[in-house]
Amino acid sequence: MDQKVTAPTIEKKTLIGQRVKKPDAPDKAIGKTRYINDMVLPQMLIGKVLFAGRPHARIVSIDTAAAERLPGVHAVLTGKDAAGLRFGFVRDNAALKDKVRCEHDEIAAVAAESEEIARQAIGLIEVVYEDLPGVFTPEDGAREDAPQIHDNFPGNKSLYFEFSHGEVAAAEADSDFVVDNVFRPHHVTHCCMGTSCAIADFDHNGKLTIWTQTQYPYNYKMDLAPALGLQPGDIRVIQPPVGGAFGSKLDVYPYEPIAALLAKRTGRPVKVIYSREEEFKASPTRQPAIIHMRTGCTRDGTLTFRTADVLLDNGAYTSWGPTIPVIMMRTVSGHYRVPVVDFKAQAIYTNNPYAGSFRGYGNVQTTWATAQQMDMLADMVDMEPLAFHLKNSQVSGEITPQKSFLRECVLVECLETAAGASDYSRKRKEYAAARAEPGRYKKGIGLASSIHNAGGAKIHKSDGIGTILKVDDYARVTVITGASEIGQGIDAVITLIVAEELGVPLEHVLIVNNDSDIAPWDVGVHASRTTFIAGNGTRRAARKAKAQILAAAEKMLGEPADTLELRGGSVVRDACGTPLIKLDRLLRQMHFQAEPELVMVTDYYEPKSEPEGAKHVSDHSAAYSHAVHVAEITVDTLTGEITVDKITMAQDVGRVINRMGLEAQIEGGLAIGLGYALSENMLLDRGLLKNPCFRDYKLLTAPEMPPLDLHFIESDCAEGPYGAKGISELPTIVIAPAIANALYNATGVRVFDPPMSPEKVARAIDAQRQAAGG
Amino acid sequence: MQEIKSYLAPRSLDEAVKAMAAGDVTVFCGGTDLTPQTDSGAKRYGATLMNIRRIEGLSGIAEAGDSIRIGAATTVTEVRRDPLIARAAPILAEAAEHFASDQIRNAASLGGNICNASPAGDMINPLLVLDAAVELASWADGALRTRSVPLENFFTGPRRHVKRPDELLTAIVFRKPATDFVGWFRKSGPRPALEISTVSVGIGGNLSDGVFRNVRVAMGSVAPTPLRAHGVEAALEGRPLDADSIRAAVAAADADATPIDDVRASAWYRKHLVKVFTEEVLNHVLGN
Ligand SMILES: Cc1cc2nc3c(=O)[nH]c(=O)nc-3n(C[C@H](O)[C@H](O)[C@H](O)COP(=O)(O)OP(=O)(O)OC[C@H]3O[C@@H](n4cnc5c(N)ncnc54)[C@H](O)[C@@H]3O)c2cc1C
Repeated sequence: MDQKVTAPTIEKKTLIGQRVKKPDAPDKAIGKTRYINDMVLPQMLIGKVLFAGRPHARIVSIDTAAAERLPGVHAVLTGKDAAGLRFGFVRDNAALKDKVRCEHDEIAAVAAESEEIARQAIGLIEVVYEDLPGVFTPEDGAREDAPQIHDNFPGNKSLYFEFSHGEVAAAEADSDFVVDNVFRPHHVTHCCMGTSCAIADFDHNGKLTIWTQTQYPYNYKMDLAPALGLQPGDIRVIQPPVGGAFGSKLDVYPYEPIAALLAKRTGRPVKVIYSREEEFKASPTRQPAIIHMRTGCTRDGTLTFRTADVLLDNGAYTSWGPTIPVIMMRTVSGHYRVPVVDFKAQAIYTNNPYAGSFRGYGNVQTTWATAQQMDMLADMVDMEPLAFHLKNSQVSGEITPQKSFLRECVLVECLETAAGASDYSRKRKEYAAARAEPGRYKKGIGLASSIHNAGGAKIHKSDGIGTILKVDDYARVTVITGASEIGQGIDAVITLIVAEELGVPLEHVLIVNNDSDIAPWDVGVHASRTTFIAGNGTRRAARKAKAQILAAAEKMLGEPADTLELRGGSVVRDACGTPLIKLDRLLRQMHFQAEPELVMVTDYYEPKSEPEGAKHVSDHSAAYSHAVHVAEITVDTLTGEITVDKITMAQDVGRVINRMGLEAQIEGGLAIGLGYALSENMLLDRGLLKNPCFRDYKLLTAPEMPPLDLHFIESDCAEGPYGAKGISELPTIVIAPAIANALYNATGVRVFDPPMSPEKVARAIDAQRQAAGG
Repeated sequence: MQEIKSYLAPRSLDEAVKAMAAGDVTVFCGGTDLTPQTDSGAKRYGATLMNIRRIEGLSGIAEAGDSIRIGAATTVTEVRRDPLIARAAPILAEAAEHFASDQIRNAASLGGNICNASPAGDMINPLLVLDAAVELASWADGALRTRSVPLENFFTGPRRHVKRPDELLTAIVFRKPATDFVGWFRKSGPRPALEISTVSVGIGGNLSDGVFRNVRVAMGSVAPTPLRAHGVEAALEGRPLDADSIRAAVAAADADATPIDDVRASAWYRKHLVKVFTEEVLNHVLGN
């Protein structure tokens, strides 16, 4: 009968590396998506926060009587209502404070019928403060006579990290050149389009449901519970669509327990949502740092040692910010082959805003230093700068002093590709020679690279993910996964992988990943890990489902399972593509047979990485990757304006999965890195933020995005899904020092404290002119 | 936020100024200054909010004899695209070109830019160079009253001006520049697009036989009000426009500008830019 039904064969086609659109893109494009900020629940009250507006003070008294009397007000809470409910890594934070330690400290909160009433009520709360002398730099905070910010952290000392390997003194004695600089990366913030928002509601069993923007729903429960006196198990986390996170939602911040405390007090759902000004003041920042770095090399261009002495401005409380040394030290010890390393980092409490995690976590700050020092050394040794980089590049199979195992390492290819495509070596020489010539506009080219974890980072006990996958009677696939979608595009990756493995159309894959009561564990969206970890989890689950389906097909069709494949919605002969049965039909037959079966599989994937450990000597990621950026710029030497003419980038992506998502992540990452490099800056004056608005906080806009020449190097990672590595932080990490190096190439001026704003560049060039006597 | 009790959108000028005479009215044109200022609490709405964009004759650009008249509600986009402006007063089109973004330009009015009285107002600068005057209308003793105030005398301090609360700014008028008029405008900020001026410099005058006459120089963001830089004008007036006079003009710019440090820039940088731009604009005018 086969001869009669000559169904067309279905060819093998792969989706890996294709351009696949995000499933939520159409709704977002037309404005249909309902973000958390848009959500309204029946009976919902609006919560508002009274911020201290001063950096350091004792609270003498709070009078809430007038606010409580205002019609429409349902609750007014103060520090007393959060007494004993401390939270944070070191339990130094509380939803509502008993003392003021920074400008945005939450002093009181109101729940009312409307935003207007809540705002009015906030205005009626009378607080008497006694201002205290403040601490606004970590250097000042470390002084013996410095005012104490927390009673139980003497000397304002927060976290401390160290790592060393080899003998620095001996290595230094062997060095012909040593560069020694102090770098001061600054305060910037995430600027998510959707401002911070949470909605909390309790049921009568005392169980909390919280709708929030969190990017780590499972540990979030553990971190939120102590702020409320709840058990983590009594918290259900729902993640509606969010307008960005970028690391800013990797911890619990006070507005979340405030929403919950107000909900508990009123017995009604309460929504707290920040205005843009509140967002600027109260959301976490990127961790600023003072990095004293020294790097040495021999005359023949071999790196001998690198030391970094780091002081971190902890701000008033401890979130992810002061933990960045965990990644900083990997860069200090692993950015190029560095045989001898000494790293120390001390965080000091101040009365400034405090830092969370932010895309590029720790590595943005460190690469700002290491990549500039590589450029400085390249000018000292007697060799071509590119040759200097190549000479110190690691190769596949190398192990860094911290035991990062660089199984597939293509730094050399990245360097050669980016330098070759941009004609780096020739232009660098030409522009340097043209520096002294007259002319207002100077061209410059700069190269920078870095290394970053690309297979998660095992800083928790687990870096794994749970996946549940079911295929229904109509061959529609539901993936219930711990992987959160915060705009980064894991939804498209999961869809693509399921379609690849099960041969179903992309539109037939549904993802359920926004309810902690339903989806299984995942550590969260961070460390460039989700495509790597969730990609592996999804593929493993899909393959289990496929094995079950093909085993059933073998029974029904009498052809060996290992000769069959799923393609185009059918079971086909793998060799020739002849379709044998439609997949949905097969699934129904499996379901309705004498021994019925449904396709429902589970998977738990834990990457083969080692826990970070207290000594920081472990292979803490399942993969590592490199990127090289070459920036070409024009500097207006009078106004100091830098125009970025072009960026050439080569990055080890392992394998391209969704090409469109990859490009978008690289472009978005670069935009954040460019703003960091050129214009973004939180202007703090004695702890008070002077530019809490987009008028004065300069995000780059679309016209400033330069032309990009992107090269994806595929190293085929043995551990990664289809060979892929994590990709999304490197673009943010590498671009700023590439521009700094280009600025030097163009003008002979170096900026150590970003951003390289027009004023700063103009001042540096002016100082250089004065020094030259003209 | 104070509650707005009523909203008016008059069709005629009489209706508008009568309402203003009657009391606490906030004029709303494009709203691009008003909205952020009331949101932040820097400004409060009056009891009546009055949208002036439907008032007949309040927008548009027209020749009137040897003058050009621009209605107060005319948007920056309209100025940017207008053929008469492009021909007769390109310095104004240049300022419109570097004004904010498309979205803001489509809403922002010239009248709003002037009444907001910011020293950084970008349309004010070229209008000072063009020696424009503003028309103010009010209602008194049962009749429409108008007066004309030279723009140079309009500003009295940061965000302060001579317009009374009951007066509506109806138009901006300037003489069509002669054919030997040359002028240019330059502004700067830390990013190219969507920028509030760190500093702006506009220079114009009649250049014939190599001699610069009727020179007018305006500077933005270097003083409490938009500034006419009389020192620079004196350095250039009646002299050949050459390397010597440009040097003198730059030195005078340094003296005329009295900027302050704020979040956008330091006084040092503003002075530095004023000098750079003065030289740049004069070189541009010279065709260098
Ligand atoms: C994102 C952004 C970017 C900006 N960029 C720039 C820029 O590059 N350059 C620049 O100069 N400005 C800029 N501005 C400021 C603003 O857009 C301009 O000042 C604009 O011209 C104001 O016009 P408007 O019609 O929106 O004024 P409105 O906000 O409607 O009014 C401003 C003030 O003037 C009063 N008013 C308005 N019209 C009249 C009238 N006819 N008679 C009497 N009173 C009146 C109002 O009551 C109000 O007090 C920017 C603003 C924003 C939000």
